[in-house]
Amino acid sequence: MTAVADSPGAAAPSLAGAAGRWMGQSVPRKEDPRLLAGRGRYLDDIVVPGMLHAAFVRSDVARGRIVRVDTEAATALPGVRAVFTAADLNPLVHETWWSMAGKDAVYAPNFCLAEGDVRFVGDPVAIVLADSRYVAEDGVDLVELEVEADDPVLDVDAARSEGATLVHPELASNVASAIPKADVPGLQETFDSAATVVSETFVQHRYLPVPMETRGLLAQWDPFTEELDLWAATQSAHELRAFFSRLLGIPESRVRVRTPDVGGGFGQKVFALRDEWAVVLASKLLGTPVKFVEDRRENLIAASSARDDRMSMDVAVDPDGKFLAFRAELVENVGAYPFAGSGSAAALVGMCLPGPYTVPAIGFSGDAVFTNTTGRAPYRGPFLMETVVPEQIVDVVARRIGMDPLELRRRNVIQSSQLPYQLPTGLVYTGVTPAETLEQAAELIDYEGFRARQAAARADGRYLGIGISLCVEPSAIAFGALSTEGAVLKMEGTGTFNLVLGSSSTGMSVETTMRQVAAEYLGCHIDQITVTQGDTATTPYGAGTQGSRSAVLYGNVTREVSLEVRDKILRIAAHMLEASPDDLDIADGQVAVKGVPQAAVTFEQVATMAYQGTAMLPPDLRAGVEAVTRFTAPMMTFVNACHICTVEVDPDTGQVQMLRYVVSEDCGQMINPKVVEGQVAGGVVQGIGGVLYESFVYDEVGNPLTGSFVDYLLPTAAEVPDIEYGHVESGTSNALNVKGVGEGGAVASPPAVFNAVADALAPLGVELRGTPLGPRQILDALAAAGH
Amino acid sequence: MSVSMTVNGRERTAVVEPRKTLADFLRQDCALTGTHLGCEHGVCGACTVLVDGQAVRSCLVFAVQGEGHEVTTVEGLTGPDGALTPVQEAFRAEHGLQCGFCTPGFVVSATALLAENPRPTDDEIREGLSGNLCRCTGYQGIVNAVRRACGRADANYSGSMEVPA
Amino acid sequence: MKAAPFGYSAPRSLDEAIEILGQFDDDAKVLAGGQSLVPVLAMRLSRFEQLVDLQHVPDLVGVTRSNGTVRIAAMTTHTAVGRSAEAAAVPLLTKATPFIGHEAIRNRGTLGGAIAHADPAAEWPAVALALGARLEATGPDGTRIIPAAEFFLGTWTTALESTEVLVAAHFPVWDGACGFAVEEAARRHGDFAMAGVVCAVQLDGDRVARAALAFLGVDGTPVRAASAEAAVTGVATGDVDAAEISALAVEGLQPPDDLHASGAQRQRMSRVLAQRAITNAIEEATRA
Repeated sequence: MTAVADSPGAAAPSLAGAAGRWMGQSVPRKEDPRLLAGRGRYLDDIVVPGMLHAAFVRSDVARGRIVRVDTEAATALPGVRAVFTAADLNPLVHETWWSMAGKDAVYAPNFCLAEGDVRFVGDPVAIVLADSRYVAEDGVDLVELEVEADDPVLDVDAARSEGATLVHPELASNVASAIPKADVPGLQETFDSAATVVSETFVQHRYLPVPMETRGLLAQWDPFTEELDLWAATQSAHELRAFFSRLLGIPESRVRVRTPDVGGGFGQKVFALRDEWAVVLASKLLGTPVKFVEDRRENLIAASSARDDRMSMDVAVDPDGKFLAFRAELVENVGAYPFAGSGSAAALVGMCLPGPYTVPAIGFSGDAVFTNTTGRAPYRGPFLMETVVPEQIVDVVARRIGMDPLELRRRNVIQSSQLPYQLPTGLVYTGVTPAETLEQAAELIDYEGFRARQAAARADGRYLGIGISLCVEPSAIAFGALSTEGAVLKMEGTGTFNLVLGSSSTGMSVETTMRQVAAEYLGCHIDQITVTQGDTATTPYGAGTQGSRSAVLYGNVTREVSLEVRDKILRIAAHMLEASPDDLDIADGQVAVKGVPQAAVTFEQVATMAYQGTAMLPPDLRAGVEAVTRFTAPMMTFVNACHICTVEVDPDTGQVQMLRYVVSEDCGQMINPKVVEGQVAGGVVQGIGGVLYESFVYDEVGNPLTGSFVDYLLPTAAEVPDIEYGHVESGTSNALNVKGVGEGGAVASPPAVFNAVADALAPLGVELRGTPLGPRQILDALAAAGH
Repeated sequence: MSVSMTVNGRERTAVVEPRKTLADFLRQDCALTGTHLGCEHGVCGACTVLVDGQAVRSCLVFAVQGEGHEVTTVEGLTGPDGALTPVQEAFRAEHGLQCGFCTPGFVVSATALLAENPRPTDDEIREGLSGNLCRCTGYQGIVNAVRRACGRADANYSGSMEVPA
Repeated sequence: MKAAPFGYSAPRSLDEAIEILGQFDDDAKVLAGGQSLVPVLAMRLSRFEQLVDLQHVPDLVGVTRSNGTVRIAAMTTHTAVGRSAEAAAVPLLTKATPFIGHEAIRNRGTLGGAIAHADPAAEWPAVALALGARLEATGPDGTRIIPAAEFFLGTWTTALESTEVLVAAHFPVWDGACGFAVEEAARRHGDFAMAGVVCAVQLDGDRVARAALAFLGVDGTPVRAASAEAAVTGVATGDVDAAEISALAVEGLQPPDDLHASGAQRQRMSRVLAQRAITNAIEEATRA
């Protein structure tokens, strides 16, 4: 654990392992009082004079030629201002690429509105602008859309095959991107000579992010200044700014994006989707503000998809149960219009495949495939197949070779003594603790005790199961546009502070945690600090709040900028106190001479000197107290956790009851433990939901069958247990000693739940090979095993 | 048509179409945007308000049906000085919210639940909250908040309840 | 997700309500609690020219007991039914209430509305069918009583004319040593059941004097298991083979297939739930 003092003057806080005044404390959140009182301001709460409301005419056919779009009746409806189609908007589109993906990524064709044909149910065909959403929807009903339906491409294998109908005739194939099978020397020989080889294919079905607040934006094109003022429920204001400047073909300086309070994103609100482009273009055409807030049906059907992967994996094992090789082939169904390129996470999956285990040899390939379904957008841990399938197949291996799954993991998990550990894929783990979390989780859940209770229950005809998921995953992936974050920290004229970050927090508590970091390193109370975020006009460029990057990026840049400001405060205070900066202490917003408490100045006094008493400053001491800096993160900050849960399965109804759920996680130092646990908990319940309740289903012609909360089932408080936490704290490669924790809960949980159900049903001869695990699937599996 | 009802103790009148929901009336005509729309088909509970003291999904009520009734929204729970109620304080203490979008609905539902049943069991808490969806918290902080709000001396609220296998 | 436009009436008398319904015929719809109707309107799955809100029609709220009958006026909310001491004389009413959605739904949804809506997986129609309840409806030609066995015709289809208003449901009270049970298999707490069963038994000494068993969620309407009821009647409680009776009860059921369960799986769930219900009801009756 390194000390963090790297500035001259009084030692900055050294937080080796212990909680500080603010760091490591579960302080109540700054965001809460106003949100609890109903005074949050979300996108739909924003009202500007003259704003129109948008609604979309969407295809209810998965693939087909647009024969006719007649907007006359809709346009004539009182209260409808305009109805636009591809003919009106698409010619206005300049460029549509994303900083995060780069200009040269393979993108789906960039039709704003469907042009000539439709490519998924929900494809936006026309936008209706009206005085209210009520009237806009009336307008939608009056648009006559005639589509000549054709056979959609729904199956990823059919889509990849020779001569398949193209989802996008403009592109050469339905394979959006591919990682070809490389010839790994010795790999096949390893499999051929291994004591045991287990080969299985697992399906992870399509399920969705479902933030409680749907997508929305309020576009205000000012025809006089030719500037776009955009309020967006987004996770990445700066990314949107760049995108829309490209879309409109105007300099970035003429676009401003602001983020209000946002009701969750989970990755779905990182990128602006095609219907959102139409809102901006409509505002431009009309010169009036346009607000669009999708309804829940649109959010489920037409916004984005996620998961929907199939991975085949082979595991070679030696006679002692040691893993010799992993080989996997991933097929991702990215829909018709995936985000920012191909929507594929395969590269990450391949790189991270060994996970927490010592696996000498790895092979990986994958295809991301277009289909006539809703396009993929990121969802909390898009690369989760790197944990889901290995963890599920490890249990299969355990059963196959007659070893307990805990023991099998113990034999293969990377030990701390093996760090730094280089994976066959080239990545290097430095501070990960999978072995420690495995043991801590096993102890928390009383693994041995459970096995005894499980046996007793089986004798009683009841089916209990336990499932482990051991996970190492990449947080704060920092390449390209994601590699840095900036911070501005200004001491105001009265001695308080304004910390300015390029984040767009959508529930991640950035306002609270970054105040904690700043206060710790400045040496003052958190109430002395306000955080400004979510406004491209005033905040430093950055990639926003996504990909478990806030703690690493915003945390470290906040630390660094705070240390710079602290240094300046000390130098001014030293001048005021006629002492050397080395002889000064800072605490609680005061700078005092060590051992002479009465020789002190407050931050307010320092500010007065810095901004008003400038004539008294020495010539080498610049006025003001403010700093701006930028932090570059390491390429990946690996974070790890072990989840273990227990379930009971009712073999008559196929229902699964969650019993206990424990998480042992290592995210380095926790800035705010309750925030950390909250992030983990949210992800865990999304995983429980994904496995047991949530399933987005299409019929055989590509019609969605789960377009409302009546059919798309989210878990409630009654379906989930108390989550129990253990924490391990390892060292990291960044000075704040933090790792990202936003996605891990959702990455590790699905296989934990899956494994528990599989473990419960194993004695009945049931073999599970995918999700969802609703009653239908469980009863089908039981029937297949003869029950 | 004209509709008149008492909202947070104040008489509010507006001219609305019959199809305008109570939720939209509150948000638009009364400028009380604390009540949120998460689904508009009566499942998520983000729009929960009290009508004549009972928890109700305001997206499933038309404003015109509210004629003559008393509606309390999340904004009406705090006192005139804006102090948070014990339920709201409990949510804050237990980190029962992250993005805050579902929060007003939960606060209203929890307030109604505890008014009806001041000492609910854990099962009663979970069932009582099962009509509200949250996506951020995994319900942990929310359940702990309700436990705290009803003064459960036996509970160690902060994530380490003793639970059976 | 906003409803299409409609006209709205809030009549102050039943006659006025019926007159409006007559005016608009199939284009008018009664608005009771709205918990089923409003989502349908919001999703624009159906639309009506006129909604007729019954909340101001007098005498449509309340639970009364007289002799062997509990009368529940149609606009009585589920919550009120669940809390009513009078309704507790028909324990299936009290036991079924917690299964209906969630608190906020129960505070607005009404027993009459639920029966008139006749969702295949709703609880009140199954209770009404099992107990042989009588539904009281008033139309332009006056009031009539429709036995539950003749009331539920199909999915969301009842014997009510479009100009009639359901004003009350009458449930018989079972005396003596009785036991009641409601069992459901639902995806989540409060969801529509994949399959459910309501069961009532009355003992005479140690024999089953009569039994009522009805399924919900397994067909377009609730289904009464008449053969199973007959098979268990007269049997000594110690001799009741709940497994056998429940197998008989589900014979001939042809439940629908959907995402949650196949027809065969629903049938199997029904059997297991029936077995649990019969066992629990008899046990409760024995203790009574």
